[in-house]
Amino acid sequence: MDLEPFLWLIFFLMNMGLIAFNLFQIVSLSDLEADYLNPYESSSRINSVVIPEYLLHGAFCILFLLTGQWFFFVVTLPIAYLNFRKFMKREHLIDVTEVFRVLSAEKKLRVVKLGFYFVLFILVMIRLVFSVINSTVDESEAIHFLGLF
Amino acid sequence: MGTENPNRTNFSPRPMTSPFSAPQNASPFSSAGPVAGPESSAFRPNNPIASSQVPPSFSSGPPAFRSLQPGRSNDPAGPPPPSSYGQPQTGSFQRFSSPQFSPAQVPSPQTSFGEQTVVAPPVRPPAGPFSSPPVSFQLRPQPPIPVGSPPQSINTVQPGMNAASSIGSPFAAPGTNLQPSSPPMRATYSATQGTMQSAFTGYPSQQPNAVLQAPPVNSVAFPPQQGGYTPGPPAASRPYLSQQGSYMQSPPVAAPGGIYSRDRMQHPSSLPPTGPAQGLVEDFSSLHLGSVPGSLDAGIDSKALSRPLDGDLEPKSFAEMYPLNCSSRYLRLSTCGIPNSQSLASKWHLPLGAVVCPLAEAPEGEEVPIVNFVTTGIIRCKRCRTYVNPYVTFTDHGRKWRCNICSLLNDVPGEYYAQLDASGRRIDLDQRPELTKGSVEFIAPTEYMIRPPMPPLYFFLIDVSVCAVRSGMLEVVAQTIKSCLDSLPGFPRTQIGFITYDSTVHFYNMKSSLTQPQMMVVSDLDDIFVPLPDDLLVNLSESRTVVDAFLDSLPSMFQENVNVESAFGPALKAALMVMSQLGGKLLIFQNTLPSLGAGRLRLRGDDARVYGTDKEHTLRVPEDPFYKQMAADFSKFQIAVNVYAFSDKYTDIATLGTLAKYTGGQVYYYPNFVSSVHKDKLRHELARDLTRETAWEAVLRIRCGRGVRFTSYHGNFMLRSTDLMALPAVDCDKAYAMQLCLEETLLTTDTVYFQVALLYTSSSAERRIRVHTVAAPVVIDLGQMYRLADTGAVVSLLSRLAIEKSLCYKLEEARASVQLRIVKALREYRNLYAVQHRLGGRMIYPESLKLLPLYGLALCRSTPLRGGYADAQLDERCAAGYTMMALPAKKLLKLLYPNLIRLDEYLLKSSFADESENIWERLPLAAESLDSRGLYIYDDGFRFVIWFGRMLSPDIARSLLGEDFATDYSKVFLTERDNEMSRRLTRIIKKYRESDPSYYQLCHLVRQGEQPREGFFLLANLVEDQVGGTNGYTDWILQLQRQVQQNA
Repeated sequence: MDLEPFLWLIFFLMNMGLIAFNLFQIVSLSDLEADYLNPYESSSRINSVVIPEYLLHGAFCILFLLTGQWFFFVVTLPIAYLNFRKFMKREHLIDVTEVFRVLSAEKKLRVVKLGFYFVLFILVMIRLVFSVINSTVDESEAIHFLGLF
Repeated sequence: MGTENPNRTNFSPRPMTSPFSAPQNASPFSSAGPVAGPESSAFRPNNPIASSQVPPSFSSGPPAFRSLQPGRSNDPAGPPPPSSYGQPQTGSFQRFSSPQFSPAQVPSPQTSFGEQTVVAPPVRPPAGPFSSPPVSFQLRPQPPIPVGSPPQSINTVQPGMNAASSIGSPFAAPGTNLQPSSPPMRATYSATQGTMQSAFTGYPSQQPNAVLQAPPVNSVAFPPQQGGYTPGPPAASRPYLSQQGSYMQSPPVAAPGGIYSRDRMQHPSSLPPTGPAQGLVEDFSSLHLGSVPGSLDAGIDSKALSRPLDGDLEPKSFAEMYPLNCSSRYLRLSTCGIPNSQSLASKWHLPLGAVVCPLAEAPEGEEVPIVNFVTTGIIRCKRCRTYVNPYVTFTDHGRKWRCNICSLLNDVPGEYYAQLDASGRRIDLDQRPELTKGSVEFIAPTEYMIRPPMPPLYFFLIDVSVCAVRSGMLEVVAQTIKSCLDSLPGFPRTQIGFITYDSTVHFYNMKSSLTQPQMMVVSDLDDIFVPLPDDLLVNLSESRTVVDAFLDSLPSMFQENVNVESAFGPALKAALMVMSQLGGKLLIFQNTLPSLGAGRLRLRGDDARVYGTDKEHTLRVPEDPFYKQMAADFSKFQIAVNVYAFSDKYTDIATLGTLAKYTGGQVYYYPNFVSSVHKDKLRHELARDLTRETAWEAVLRIRCGRGVRFTSYHGNFMLRSTDLMALPAVDCDKAYAMQLCLEETLLTTDTVYFQVALLYTSSSAERRIRVHTVAAPVVIDLGQMYRLADTGAVVSLLSRLAIEKSLCYKLEEARASVQLRIVKALREYRNLYAVQHRLGGRMIYPESLKLLPLYGLALCRSTPLRGGYADAQLDERCAAGYTMMALPAKKLLKLLYPNLIRLDEYLLKSSFADESENIWERLPLAAESLDSRGLYIYDDGFRFVIWFGRMLSPDIARSLLGEDFATDYSKVFLTERDNEMSRRLTRIIKKYRESDPSYYQLCHLVRQGEQPREGFFLLANLVEDQVGGTNGYTDWILQLQRQVQQNA
């Protein structure tokens, strides 16, 4: 039980990482749109973090599974699947030659993802707080909140 | 002219306008200054707008005006007003213009105006109230002040007149009358039409140039005014108002400058010229006239179908409307009427956009003038960076100019300052091509350079594997390059270099101090490196002897080569490393499928399992991301890639072609290359590629007025930012297409301007900017959009979209999308008229798009889109796709609907006096056109097919082909023989080739009944015939018609 706060701290940091990756990509895309970046630079920036992001998300998802956090596992599964599929179809990287044609779609996708991670962030945060509280107070006084997650 | 009666009725509205306008207008005018402003404003705005809405009343009016106008036309130019006064009838017209100059003076014209007065008197009193309610009025600066004063006097005179003309009645009723006018007006309108036309025709004869412009103006002016009157009725007035609103803006902006008026007069005035204006007015009545829609009955007579037998007809009226626009060679809009609202745009189901060919070849005498702003720097708008162009207006005595695109007021630099004359024109106008021509070329100062202008650079990447040697390609290429060395552009700065490759990559040291080139072989394909830091790329004039020696020995060097491998990828990387310093043009001669190192490709095209499945389209897109990445890098380093492919087997053009696609290059494909057959073709096309005028390290951007935005671009280039196309090399054979959309729900301007700017380095080491400017009217009704459509541009855009679609979807879907768009467009058009007319089974289409169905059919049967996978080789399909993505509209149309011309009669004729005419008579592309006693030539711009009828007299065949005339034609070549007939044929063919020098048309001889060659070369390309499972022209039309009616 004492490990739980640590676990949630790890989740918390991973989630932060995912948010950072996504934000970075969105900023790169907006810079491209506003002509602050050229397509070469923008796509190489984005492409350099795509794989780390996918790996991190995969780890995130699997860790939920291993720790028995079913709710979180199920919630993160669709994005993991999406990532996996894109990777298999070799569509995960931005194509510098066609970047302007897919710009708005790619951006939208990342904004949606970002929103998702923010929601997740709040949930993870709550869990983190509770786990910290629970580990510091008596078992009997522990707050049992089983709700949905 | 006989116009008097009709005119008067028409005129009546004017006076009204004047009163109204006067109060409101005052402000704009005042700013402009008394001189010219008012006139111009009055004239120009109206045309487009007025025509559509106001039609009825106006229509009657216009004819009269037109006739009058002759005198008037001069006004814009300058001082005409006085003269105009003198003439009574004209007076009315003039009076608008004249008033501007001096409102007070008006008196004399008044008598003539009398007609108008009828309306005016009533109006006037109310004017105050009226003006305030209708915003639109205020907007219109045109009629404003100047008119105001005269009208009053007029009013008194005219009353009688009104009574006379029944038409006038609606108007006569003062302010109130105006509103109801619409229904009655129509009646009058139609009645008057006849007169109008007559007036029209007469008109031109009277005053050729000036007249043309002027007439439109007058008619135009009227409509707007009326519109203004109408304020009351909401429904009718609505459109108007919006338009007027637009007017307002523009006038204020432009009006201030005296020039503005001038511009208006010249260009805009021409806008809705007679043609359009009439059409608008007539709209429905036009149906009866039969000019607009064509009709088809179910049992169609195929002869009645329209065909482009006169070649590509560009809408002339548009060019006449805006004489300051650049030529349609450079820019064509898919419709010259820009929709004023998104809802209207969404009813235009065809692509809305432009096709730009920035460096199109200009005929003698029409070259683009070069302007050197040495001292002043290039004049551009501070905000939107628009270049100065004929549509900008000068104000404040010439100290400021207003940008026509964003309407920002800019300062005129001191060195560029020139006074304005009385009419607001700059006095130095005739020495300023940038202010009088739609296309100009500026010499760019150093601010436009990131680095010193690069020298023209040609780099050759030549496959020397066994196939290349055996097919003779190597020899032809070496000879051709050598023969072109003297005519490469940019002497003496031209740079040149070579790499050859088979399973290894060979570099050549061409240092000028050597006598023979040194060859260096690199066999480490995984980590390719450049063995020498320089001297691989040398200055041609310094190393000429070495280069000559190299080219002489190249074919023999590899004579014994038996290597079948191709290390294309590594060689490509090496070329990039060598060229990355300077950029330039990379010509790739590829004979086999790349098989070694990075970028090796599979024989995926030979995998029959994929064909016919949902995955088939993946064969048409590049397989290996390596090539896209390379293409992006090439583009980054200003390298354009031209791919020449020769293989008789699958070479994956889809993948190789991406190199050309993203670098502004071109794909040349010679399937089954055999030097004895294709030598001339390769030689001509390579020579043209090397020697044509080329623009280096270019970027192209198209700007447009507020409210409109270009959203997607189609062609061979790479986007460097959202709207900047990077074109490492451009030449006259490349065109680019773009689609636009409306950003705002409602456009408030009456004209939208487009400006294409191409910044490039010329071969002579100058940095230049070529600027093409176009103005297009904003229209409020769909009928007018259709009327102003340009089939060439529409088809060009449609084909590019369809080809792009075929990369992601099945061919059937790509074709279906073409058909669907045509059907939707025709349906929308039909709905426009379905209410007033019993269309029955007739097919309705706008005159301007009468060829659209045919070209749509031809597009569906063109090489990139035709049939199923078996109907065209995959490589051929892809190569044709890449080619069509870059073709200018004219050439595309010719490719889609080739020329079929009968020659035997001409050959037999004893004299060739009329050589020039007869041989251009095109026939419909149907088997019925082929007479078995005839000799025909089929010319699609890429090849000739000469068809010998079965019953063709043996004499002809013998004299053309010698003793081979009876053998298998696939082995016979056309050569000039020693007889008149053969010489004549050679001459004709030469003439055809000269008329279209972009490609070399190889002659294929086909005899009737000789299968499968006849089918392959000719019958499959007769687009009007039913071949296999495809539609013939009549079936296609019937099918379209059925679909159009289904949900109509």
